[in-house]
Amino acid sequence: MEAATSTKVPKILVIATLSGGYAGADYVGQQHLHYATNTSILPVRCPSMFSEDFYINAFEKGIDGIIVMYSGTDSPYKGGPERTAQIIDNTYKQMQERGLNTRRLRLAAICTVCKKPFLKQVKEMNETLDEIGFVQDELAGKGDG
Amino acid sequence: MDINKIKADALVVGGGIAGMQSALDLADQGYQVVLVEKDPSIGGKMIQLSKVFPTLDCCSCITTPKMSAVANHANIQTLTYCEVQSIDNADGHFVAQILKKPRYVDEDDCTGCRQCEYVCPIDVPSVFDLNMTARRAIRVPFSTAVPQLAVLDIENCILCGKCARACPADAVDFTQTAYEIELEVDAIVLATGFETTPIDAKKEYGAGNLHNVIDGLMMERLLAPTGPYARVLRPGDGKEPESIAYVQCAGSRDETLGVEYCSRVCCMYAIKQAMLIAGALPMADITLYYMDIRAFGKGYDQFYQNAQAMGIEFVKGKVAKITEDENQNPVVRVELIDEGQVVERTHDMIVLSVGMVPQYNPGSVYSVGVGEYGFIKSPAPNISSTETNRSGIFATGAATAPMDIVDSIASASAAASGAAAHLEAVQGGN
Amino acid sequence: MTETSDLKNEEIKIGVYTCYCGGNISDVVKCEKVADALREMPNVVVSRTNMAMCSDVGQSIIEEDIKSKGLNRVIVGACAPSLHEQTFRGTVSRAGLNPYLYHHVGLREQNSWVHGNNPGEATKKAIRLMLAGLAKARLLKPLDAIKLEAEVHALVIGGGVAGLRSAYDIARRGIRVTLIEKTPFLGGRMAQLETVFPTNNQAREDLHDLIEKVTQHPNITLYTSAEMVGYGGYIGNYEVQIRQQSRGVSGDIAEAALAACTQEIPDEFNYGLTKRKVIYRAYEGCYPSDPAVDWEHYDGKPLDIDGKEVVFENTIKTFDLKVGAIVMATGFNPYEPPKGDYGYGELPEVVTLPQFIRYMGFRESSDELTWNGRPVRDIAVIHCVGSRHVAGVHDPQPDGILNNYCSRVCCTAALHQVNELREEFPQLNVYDFYNDIRTYGLEHEAYYKEASQNMVRFLRFHVDERPEVAAAPAGDTHPVLVKGKDYLTNGLEIEAAVDLVILAVGIIPNPVPELVDLMKIPVGDDRFLLEVHPKLRPVETPVPGVVLAGTAQSPMNIQESCNAASAAAAKVSALLAKGQVILEPFVAKVDLEKCDGTGKCVEVCEYEDAIAVKTITIDGKEVQRAVVTPANCSGCGNCVSACPNKAVEVQGWEVAQFEAMVEALAMEVEA
Ligand SMILES: Cc1cc2nc3c(=O)[nH]c(=O)nc-3n(C[C@H](O)[C@H](O)[C@H](O)COP(=O)(O)OP(=O)(O)OC[C@H]3O[C@@H](n4cnc5c(N)ncnc54)[C@H](O)[C@@H]3O)c2cc1C
Ligand SMILES: Cc1cc2nc3c(=O)[nH]c(=O)nc-3n(C[C@H](O)[C@H](O)[C@H](O)COP(=O)(O)OP(=O)(O)OC[C@H]3O[C@@H](n4cnc5c(N)ncnc54)[C@H](O)[C@@H]3O)c2cc1C
Ligand code: SF4
Repeated sequence: MEAATSTKVPKILVIATLSGGYAGADYVGQQHLHYATNTSILPVRCPSMFSEDFYINAFEKGIDGIIVMYSGTDSPYKGGPERTAQIIDNTYKQMQERGLNTRRLRLAAICTVCKKPFLKQVKEMNETLDEIGFVQDELAGKGDG
Repeated sequence: MDINKIKADALVVGGGIAGMQSALDLADQGYQVVLVEKDPSIGGKMIQLSKVFPTLDCCSCITTPKMSAVANHANIQTLTYCEVQSIDNADGHFVAQILKKPRYVDEDDCTGCRQCEYVCPIDVPSVFDLNMTARRAIRVPFSTAVPQLAVLDIENCILCGKCARACPADAVDFTQTAYEIELEVDAIVLATGFETTPIDAKKEYGAGNLHNVIDGLMMERLLAPTGPYARVLRPGDGKEPESIAYVQCAGSRDETLGVEYCSRVCCMYAIKQAMLIAGALPMADITLYYMDIRAFGKGYDQFYQNAQAMGIEFVKGKVAKITEDENQNPVVRVELIDEGQVVERTHDMIVLSVGMVPQYNPGSVYSVGVGEYGFIKSPAPNISSTETNRSGIFATGAATAPMDIVDSIASASAAASGAAAHLEAVQGGN
Repeated sequence: MTETSDLKNEEIKIGVYTCYCGGNISDVVKCEKVADALREMPNVVVSRTNMAMCSDVGQSIIEEDIKSKGLNRVIVGACAPSLHEQTFRGTVSRAGLNPYLYHHVGLREQNSWVHGNNPGEATKKAIRLMLAGLAKARLLKPLDAIKLEAEVHALVIGGGVAGLRSAYDIARRGIRVTLIEKTPFLGGRMAQLETVFPTNNQAREDLHDLIEKVTQHPNITLYTSAEMVGYGGYIGNYEVQIRQQSRGVSGDIAEAALAACTQEIPDEFNYGLTKRKVIYRAYEGCYPSDPAVDWEHYDGKPLDIDGKEVVFENTIKTFDLKVGAIVMATGFNPYEPPKGDYGYGELPEVVTLPQFIRYMGFRESSDELTWNGRPVRDIAVIHCVGSRHVAGVHDPQPDGILNNYCSRVCCTAALHQVNELREEFPQLNVYDFYNDIRTYGLEHEAYYKEASQNMVRFLRFHVDERPEVAAAPAGDTHPVLVKGKDYLTNGLEIEAAVDLVILAVGIIPNPVPELVDLMKIPVGDDRFLLEVHPKLRPVETPVPGVVLAGTAQSPMNIQESCNAASAAAAKVSALLAKGQVILEPFVAKVDLEKCDGTGKCVEVCEYEDAIAVKTITIDGKEVQRAVVTPANCSGCGNCVSACPNKAVEVQGWEVAQFEAMVEALAMEVEA
């Protein structure tokens, strides 16, 4: 085994729709473009299935940033994008109540060949996390104070 | 069993959007379909486009799922890089002799990993990008190609063997030769598509020799997210253009070229491109010189009105001539109809809205009737537009007339309907 | 299937496979390390790598392991799921495993190809992704594709050319068809045309060929004077109610009744230019050939037939049908200008193109063209009447909607008419006021060219500045003046004195509010019926199994209507030919123990009848529970997040599976 790296990096979870962001991420791969390795992408049919507590729980488990890459107006599901946007909005409120920086959660419409917007989202989330730090610290800070 | 003999219900010739849709509609009804495509990948012209009118959907989002649906469909066998050489009638069936061209890559072993492409030392202009970029002598045709298999272009290959050594699957095979496949079917759908009118056809428009005059398909590539520079630049000197003009009906409605018909898509694609350019280069002036704007389809006229509202200038005028000045800026000589005067205007870049001509002449192989311009002709164009003069052979998409994607898809499904009914009649249910 | 219950008690045995992808993955990711890390995890029975898992060799390894090691879950880390997930579902199912006990992890497009610059981290990420996959795999449940028995029977609504074409194509595939037509006669608007572009054939000849095929086809049942009045069920199993009015006159007394009838009303077939009786045939040679009573207008008075007083009664028949799919071919109406627009309805010399086509159809042929008894020497044609309206310039329709679209057929139809006129009456002088000439089809431009060569004088207006029509001053040479600016001659003011004005009116939808209400088919901004997506699913509506054919969807010419109709037939055939509709199992499923029937799920669901609160019996007690109709569910999961009891899941995409994956992703990985 190689020596384990000691520097801890923030973890980014990407929730991406099969019809949009997930295919977009595949496309970025086909182009052999680079982005940070601290991102893990999970495919969903439509993020409208997740309620606010799903995101809160994820932060509590130690995910530092979440990008929801949905299909926006290209969504094949009626009412899905609107509901997603509403849930994200509610989640922001709950995050504020818990002292979580709302910039940890982002909603972006990503299409199947949106390589630039995809990379931009990942980059900006990393910049944000560099600035605001780990979620555990934020949660702990809140707990201490 | 001889592996080179196949039996199926239907043969679809051409893997553009029309052929793919016909194949899918037949396969969804339970028929066994063989799709023959002459190129190494299916997708047709549509896979080269940027976004599509009137919805401005990204084109790949619409084409790639269809391509993979075709590739994964249990009832469709896709034969790429193949050409039908003859069709015979035997016991009421069609027997097609198909030539499988050598890829010089073993299709079963190749995994599309592109290692060969990375090491190949030979660069050749890329036809996919209309020669605006280079590709290797061995390559996977394009990033979203289906199948994801490499193909070696033996004409440009120097047989250095680098690819063969790099291939982890040992799939490169310089000794491969063409072979024949015999296919027996009961119905055929021709979906052989179109070609754009050659940019050099028109002397008055510079015959393809002006530096910053391109055609509509090249602009599609420039605007495509997969395109050569990922932005719109002048091909002559790589400068960002500040003033771009479209010349409509370039090669259509033109007796001198023998293309008297309207190509039906050019107004709309020019408007679409103009809108995309306006988004990419907000400061650029965009002008369309046109005779009639034919925004006839569902949502099309509204699309045209949006373009006008965006500030794109529509000038009713006949472009008589295009030349270039000492800075290689194209100069149009145009008769402005509204003002009733002839003027010369200089732009940074000109796009010729070229039209559509048939890609393939089916005459000798399929013996189906074609009309005066070479498009496959139906004996009953109104009621049964996808029939041909031969029972059991159907035609669809841009092979039958210039048409856009929406109309091609409707026509493709109609051809599948006709072919299915024919199969039901000759086979008595499947 | 017994698998479901078996698995509950069975030990979970997972096979994990990490693909080299011929170097695509292994050049960056240390695949052996990934396999090693996974091998240590609970439930993992075997963890292997291979040069190409998708190859025959790779797939055989999985099959062999399933059989010899009793695996009941499989995960493969390889290229994107879109490429090979289906392949491996097939592999495991060949080895006897439920295909949905397979999970695919993308290690190429989303790892090795994007992290080539950082192999160490890429390997860690691969392990993380595989651990997440493993976490999901533990919670996978076997699923069965949803199979619905389907009625091999389609309903086609509308007996115009599109409905006829669709019915014929479906019937030829061996599927039963019921065709209903609202009026007593088949043919729709095409029957009202004379010669048509681009063939110049007689419309009714082509139409009758098709009608003959339809009426003689053994699979087709036809009802005229019939409408759909009730609707329920779902794809494959619609239950509809048809209401049919009687024809009123039967075979033997039909001719006598026709002769005896004297009550007359304006004839809609000729757009009011002539009158017809209330017992009538739409036209000579119509189908069905029996005359029919026009119940809406018949005054109910007895007729004297062969000395007997006969009163006609409308016996209305209502019956139910079970159908698997429905084709909407309800067609269009020509636009009728409001009274006074372009002089329409006020000046007798102003007609619409459809009216004029009828006039040319029924007039006695003579060497001279006349209108209202006066010779016609000069004609003006005005394009885009009722089409391409501009906001702020034109008034919206009575329903507040602006006709801002192009009607597609009027340009060529008008030029075709003009050419025929010029040919028959070479002395005739024609002014053609247009904005753009949209002769877009392969053979259409020839009509424009012919008109141009044939001395038709084209005058170009701007869409927001249309020509005006007014009565000429008394004593003028002509009854009507058309005024406008001509932008072909530098905006010159033009005043054309003419004997007749033909308005090339557009196509507006034939409104079917009752059907739209019943079936919940969306209507577009232009009031035409709306497809799901113009390219991906151009003839389908969001209501599964309900498809569109012809001008009910948008303006189309005959060829386009027939193509759309055949396309609709292809979709219906694909759906019904097998007698079974197969859908993916990714739909909502309610846990009846957690559900308490609050109905929050129903509030957020946008799909008609996908989820509803119903009374069901559990352990002998009547309770309110949410019930999913899988056929109508899209599997979006809107309801999942809405349920306060977390009682709904989308099968195969359960929140618990995601939570397990997130947990795995949050862990620190060492490599
Ligand atoms: C510049 C431009 C922009 C456009 N933009 C739009 C737009 O935005 N929206 C829109 O709706 N439409 C657009 N179109 C129109 C659109 O490209 C066509 O409607 C569509 O591609 C036609 O599809 P097709 O399958 O009929 O033909 P093609 O795409 O030409 O496909 C034909 C296929 O058949 C194969 N083939 C040919 N001959 C043979 C043979 N003998 N044997 C085997 N295979 C053969 C070809 O290789 C090809 O794969 C545009 C067209 C152009 C030129
Ligand atoms: C002036 C003019 C000239 C034209 N000339 C040409 C030409 O030369 N060439 C050409 O190709 N095209 C031409 N067209 C276009 C052509 O008329 C149409 O493409 C074609 O008629 C459309 O057929 P359809 O079946 O979609 O609709 P329709 O003909 O309108 O048929 C719809 C049918 O459905 C019935 N219906 C409606 N609602 C219900 C209901 N609720 N229940 C049951 N039945 C119902 C109606 O009674 C009707 O019979 C012309 C159109 C116009 C207006
Ligand atoms: S087809 Fe011609 S007349 Fe009809 S609306 Fe379109 S442009 Fe106007």
